[in-house]
Amino acid sequence: MENSAQESHLGQENSVTYESPYPLYAMAFSPSQTRNRHQHHRIAVGSFIEEYSNRVDILSFDPDTLSVKPNPTLSFDHPYPPTKLMFHPNPNSLHKSNDVLASSGDYLRLWEVRDSSVEPIQVLNNSKTSEFCAPLTSFDWNDIEPRRIGTSSIDTTCTIWDIEKGVVETQLIAHDKEVYDIAWGEARVFASVSADGSVRIFDLRDKEHSTIIYESPQPDTPLLRLAWNKQDLRYMATILMDSNKVVILDIRSPTMPVAELERHRASVNAIAWAPQSCRHICSAGDDTQALIWELPTVAGPNGIDPMSMYSAGAEINQLQWSAAQPDWISIAFSNKMQLLKAS
Amino acid sequence: MATRLQNQDRVPENLRKQLALAVRSIEWSYAIFWSISARQPGVLEWGDGYYNGDIKTRKTVQAIELNADQMGLQRSEQLRELYESLSAGEASPQARRPSASLSPEDLADTEWYYLVCMSFVFNVGQGLPGRTLANGQPIWLCNAHYADSKVFTRSLLAKSASIQTVVCFPFLGGVIELGVTELVMEDPDLIQHVKTSFLEVPYPIASKKTNPSVGSTRNDNDLACTVLDHDVMDAKLIPVVGCEEMNATSPNNSSNGLGLNQPADDSFMVEGMNGGASQVQSWQFMDDEFSNFVHHSMDSSDCISQTLVYPEKVPLGPKAEKASDHCLHDLKERNSTKLTSLGPQGTDLQYQSVLSALLKGSHQLILGPNFQNCHQESNFVSWKRGGFVKCRKQRGGSPQKLLKQILFEVPRMHVDCVLESPEDNSNRNGVWRPEADEIGMNHALSERRRREKLNERFCVLKSMVPSISKDDKVSILDDAIEYLKDLEKRVEELESCREPSDLEAKIKRKIQDTIERTSDNCCNTKISNGKKPLVYKRKASDIDETEPEISYVVSKHGSSDNITVNMNKKDVLIEMKFPWREGVLLEIMDATSRLQLDTHSVQSSTADGILSVTIKSRFKGSTVASAGTIQQALQRIARSC
Repeated sequence: MENSAQESHLGQENSVTYESPYPLYAMAFSPSQTRNRHQHHRIAVGSFIEEYSNRVDILSFDPDTLSVKPNPTLSFDHPYPPTKLMFHPNPNSLHKSNDVLASSGDYLRLWEVRDSSVEPIQVLNNSKTSEFCAPLTSFDWNDIEPRRIGTSSIDTTCTIWDIEKGVVETQLIAHDKEVYDIAWGEARVFASVSADGSVRIFDLRDKEHSTIIYESPQPDTPLLRLAWNKQDLRYMATILMDSNKVVILDIRSPTMPVAELERHRASVNAIAWAPQSCRHICSAGDDTQALIWELPTVAGPNGIDPMSMYSAGAEINQLQWSAAQPDWISIAFSNKMQLLKAS
Repeated sequence: MATRLQNQDRVPENLRKQLALAVRSIEWSYAIFWSISARQPGVLEWGDGYYNGDIKTRKTVQAIELNADQMGLQRSEQLRELYESLSAGEASPQARRPSASLSPEDLADTEWYYLVCMSFVFNVGQGLPGRTLANGQPIWLCNAHYADSKVFTRSLLAKSASIQTVVCFPFLGGVIELGVTELVMEDPDLIQHVKTSFLEVPYPIASKKTNPSVGSTRNDNDLACTVLDHDVMDAKLIPVVGCEEMNATSPNNSSNGLGLNQPADDSFMVEGMNGGASQVQSWQFMDDEFSNFVHHSMDSSDCISQTLVYPEKVPLGPKAEKASDHCLHDLKERNSTKLTSLGPQGTDLQYQSVLSALLKGSHQLILGPNFQNCHQESNFVSWKRGGFVKCRKQRGGSPQKLLKQILFEVPRMHVDCVLESPEDNSNRNGVWRPEADEIGMNHALSERRRREKLNERFCVLKSMVPSISKDDKVSILDDAIEYLKDLEKRVEELESCREPSDLEAKIKRKIQDTIERTSDNCCNTKISNGKKPLVYKRKASDIDETEPEISYVVSKHGSSDNITVNMNKKDVLIEMKFPWREGVLLEIMDATSRLQLDTHSVQSSTADGILSVTIKSRFKGSTVASAGTIQQALQRIARSC
């Protein structure tokens, strides 16, 4: 049982590890495998090399045999490290028969992942006057309205793209400083976090206003990541710079977090809500741990303990929870991508 | 105490006051009276209680001062009201109740514990109160917050409320529970003291004793419970009567207590002897690591045995027997089903379910049916405070290193592909710099400096080439190449004309003019935004100390404007005097930096409208302009005065 002495080996036997030739950061699960029956689950991983040349690799994952394989033909160059990768959340809505992958960096780029090649579809550049477009820190694909992608940029703006038309739907000056992450709640509602330390909610129907629902306790402590609970839109989670906290927000009670998860022993790097539960969230950090939390209805007075934990060999930089297979979580640390069975 | 009316009809009212007296006299946090439920025979539920612990927010509408008695009773009442409103599932408890009502956020940790206790029910023999009732003996639990949930189901809650010591003893057919946030060692005298001094007062309820059937209201129920073995109470203080009986009823009893690895579940039916020997049972758990360790005297089972004994000792109505049967039945069932959930997972589950049941949380914790239990396959293990033994300490590196690089550095890399507009440049510099400091990565810093220098040079280049159309670096280079070619061509043309040599000077002049014309405020902003202090209060003598090896002095207009340029390799000392006008210093700085001069110090003074400036500077790059060029550039400024 779990209490046995060999803790260091616990849980390792089921994990599936892919070792990349380069450090990894960006990572994405493909949304479903129904369409490509002959293919396994796909996972896209982006390299992190501090140079111009970077790579995105598409891996195949077979949960039955617990194997993950790279596809040499599905590997492509990316200018500088992609800051985020994401598959089209609802490929059935596309008329294309292949997966579509988006990446952010200098521009928002769309790629078609075919059976044996990856072809660029589109490069979305927001600047009309020159080739220059403020670099993107992140983006989110609206899964209710998949023609919409929202990007966040260091130029303090968020841009909403209509990728079907390839045009900018709107661009908002979202924050006072760099915007670091963006997340959709509904078809027209998104939220963003910024170096100005605030979480703001925007409604495309009312572009004049935004709602600040949280501000970091020390002024101007940047908020780095944001995750909106898709199962219960009242909740979102964010992380602060140099903080071991995961801050859980309830949009109904602005400014006061409903919970602060503080059991990481070093700074948190990534968060992901469970795709099929409104009460579970996973977080990973510099303490090499991935923790799964179950949020109580009411926080106990002494804080919340995680439900379960996993320890990787190094600082975990990335975390994704597969929507298509909710019992699988993937993490990235150093040059490894590891798939973990969550349940 | 005047309020203690012996012939008062409402016993719970009276009981609460007695509890209040008792718990306050010993300065403990709370007292709870667990009574047999009216609806579910054989089950202990909340009868009454008195809260004496920390209070977070006091709410009151009365203007009158309350004494400590009334305050305590009022608080206990308010807590009860809050519980009832919460368990009734009102969406907003505040809405329909008076403003003095408490809401969950008004509660201190211990109050929260007390409140949640109201939701607990115990089968006889189960949990601390249940076992106490079953075996008729007090139980003294130290380190309650570390206790195994099998022993003390509320240990997690207790932990959150820092309740350390919990004592239960049978009373009036129910169980009195006392708790305190301190560690109090076992003290039978204390129980005796509480009992005799505060609780054991004769009640005029003997007449009701003949009617053990329970009433429909809570108050009646309390009465009925009280009746159950009111007069057995004394008997209970005598150590267990039923040992022999117990042996008879449990033939398998090997009298060796529990094996350490034996699941405690089994013991409910079979074991149970040992506990009877000591009058007060006490457990101290050193550590929750040992929570699975079952103390040999910790027999959940003796409660059962005791329950069996009761009918013999005290003649009870059929209902009571039924109750104990029910209890047995219940426990059997639990053996097979429910107790399996009392593992480490079970504790959390129970805690969660209590909370969500209490607060009617609308969310079900769904991760599929297997999420909780299917741990053999999962890579995740139950979280423990200690965590992994081998868990590495974080290395010296900066926190969130990669994340920060992605957010702070990678955008920088893109930015450097393209030259920014000057205004943006200065602005962005201001934004980025503090973050770079926080990151504290040397290589990143030096990399950034390199890029800044590159950008600066592009700025300069852009300002020198007249026909720059676009802002990006490629365009600048293209235009510069074109411009150079153009110049080369012109030089060739002119040389081919073989005109006198002063034509070269003309060309030079032309270039200078071009510089002047096309210069933008790119470098200007750099100075004006205050990053480089304009004036250093350094004495001129410092400058004089460096003896120029090669001194080249040009002095043309000796009258009003007087410009001297001294060069020593790359060091340049400029001294000038001319009529002052608004912004002239800025223009000078602008000119020097366009000439690739890195200004180290500027000393300026104005007297009688004449500005005297001493600039000590150094060439930044490898290209060195001649002293004459510098002087020409400065003279243009001076002349336009």
